[in-house]
Amino acid sequence: MLFWIYYIIAAYILFLLIKELFNEKDFKVQIAIAISLIPFILRIFLIK
Amino acid sequence: MNNGTSKNPILLLLIVVILCAYSSIEFLGMRKPDLLIPSKSLTAIKKLSNYFKGMKNTSADSDIYFFDSGKPGGTVLLLGGTHPNEPAGFITAVVLLEQLKCEEGRVIIIPQACLSGFTCTDPLEGYPSSFTVKGKYGDRKFRFGSRVANPLDQWPDPLVYQHYPSGQKLSNFESRNLNRCYPGNPEGSLMQQTAYAILQLIRSENVDVAFDLHEAAPEIPIINAIVAHEKARDVAGMAVLNLEFEDLKYALEISPVRFRGLSHREWGDSTTVFPFLMETSNPIQGRLRGVTNEKLVLYGTDQNYKKALESGKLRIEYLVSGEPLKLRVGRHLQAFLAVLSAFNELNPDKHITVSKVPGYHDLMINGVGFYLN
Repeated sequence: MLFWIYYIIAAYILFLLIKELFNEKDFKVQIAIAISLIPFILRIFLIK
Repeated sequence: MNNGTSKNPILLLLIVVILCAYSSIEFLGMRKPDLLIPSKSLTAIKKLSNYFKGMKNTSADSDIYFFDSGKPGGTVLLLGGTHPNEPAGFITAVVLLEQLKCEEGRVIIIPQACLSGFTCTDPLEGYPSSFTVKGKYGDRKFRFGSRVANPLDQWPDPLVYQHYPSGQKLSNFESRNLNRCYPGNPEGSLMQQTAYAILQLIRSENVDVAFDLHEAAPEIPIINAIVAHEKARDVAGMAVLNLEFEDLKYALEISPVRFRGLSHREWGDSTTVFPFLMETSNPIQGRLRGVTNEKLVLYGTDQNYKKALESGKLRIEYLVSGEPLKLRVGRHLQAFLAVLSAFNELNPDKHITVSKVPGYHDLMINGVGFYLN
C-alpha cells in the first residue's frame, strides 16, 4: 500500500511538472523543469 | 530570454525520455543474476527458502551450493557477499565454488548471502555497478552492489534500528545490514528473515565451522584480521600461526560480547558452530580514495592513499603497489585453508578435507581469472 501511495504522489508531481513545462515561456526555466523530470520518470517506471 | 515555443517542451521531453531510457538500462541491469559455474563436484543446489519458507519468492532468496564428499566428517559453511560492496568476499566464494573438490565431510557455500544488496549500489559513493575479471575462458562480469539490502526490498528504514532480540540501538540504515541482523527473526524485516534462514541452515545441517568473508577500508583497524568467537579461539590462534609461515600477517580479534547482531557473535552464541569472520583491506571503501571505478576494484591502487603515504602522514598499513583483487582473494583463500587445517588438527573425528583450492601464492602468480570457469 505504501508503495502505491508513493507511486501516485510521484505520478501527480510528474503531471504538474509537465504542465508547468508547457506553460513556461523562458527556455532556461524549461530546461530546469526538464532536468527535474528525470528523477520522477525514473521513480515511476522503475519503482517495484 | 523569452523565446519559448510549443516545440521546445516536446523536444525537451524527448531528450528526458532518452536520458531516462539510457539510465534505466544500467539500473535494471543490476537485477540480472551473476553467472556462476560450479565445479563438477557440486552435489546439490538449495535456496534459503528451503530453511525458512517465508523467504520464498523474495529478492533475498539466495542459492546455496552443496559439495558432499559422501565420506564422514565435519561440515563447513562459507558466506560471501554479506556486504555486496566488498568484492573479495564474493569472489573468494565464487573461486571456491568453481574449483573445489570435497574429499572428506561437506562444504556449503552461499556466494551472495545478501542477494538483495546486489541489485543496487550505495547512494553518493559513486561506485561502479559491475566489474569484469579476465578469465581463462573469457571475460566474467560481476555485480558490485551495496553494503546493505536494496531499499526497494526493505523500506522504510526505522528512525533508529533496534536489534532483535537484544534491543541494542544502531543507526537506521543498519536495519538493512545483514551483519547486524543475526540471529534474525522469522516475523521481522527481510534481512532479519535472511539472518534467521542462515541460522536455520547452520542448525539443520549441523555445521561445524562457518566463515563470513568481508573487506574494509584501509583505515579500519580490523583489516587483515580473523575475528573469532571465543570458543573458536584455539583454532583461530593456530590458523594465524600457520599463516605466518606463509608470510601472511593476520591480527586475531575475539568477537566482542556486547556488540550484538554480528555473524561471529550470534552464530557462536546460538549454535554449536565455530564462527570466523575475515577481513582484507579494500581501498575502494576508503574515505581518502579518489577516482572510484572498476580499476580500483581490480587493482586497488589509489593516488590519494599513495600521496598520503609518501607525505608520512598515513598511520595505517597501505601497500604502494596497491591491494589488488588477486591479493585480497588470495588472503581469504589461504586463511580459509589455514582455519580448516587447524580445525582438523583439533577435531580429528570431524575432518573436512578439500582439494583443488588455490592458495595465496597461486593467486598472486596466476590471478583471479585463472580460477574461474
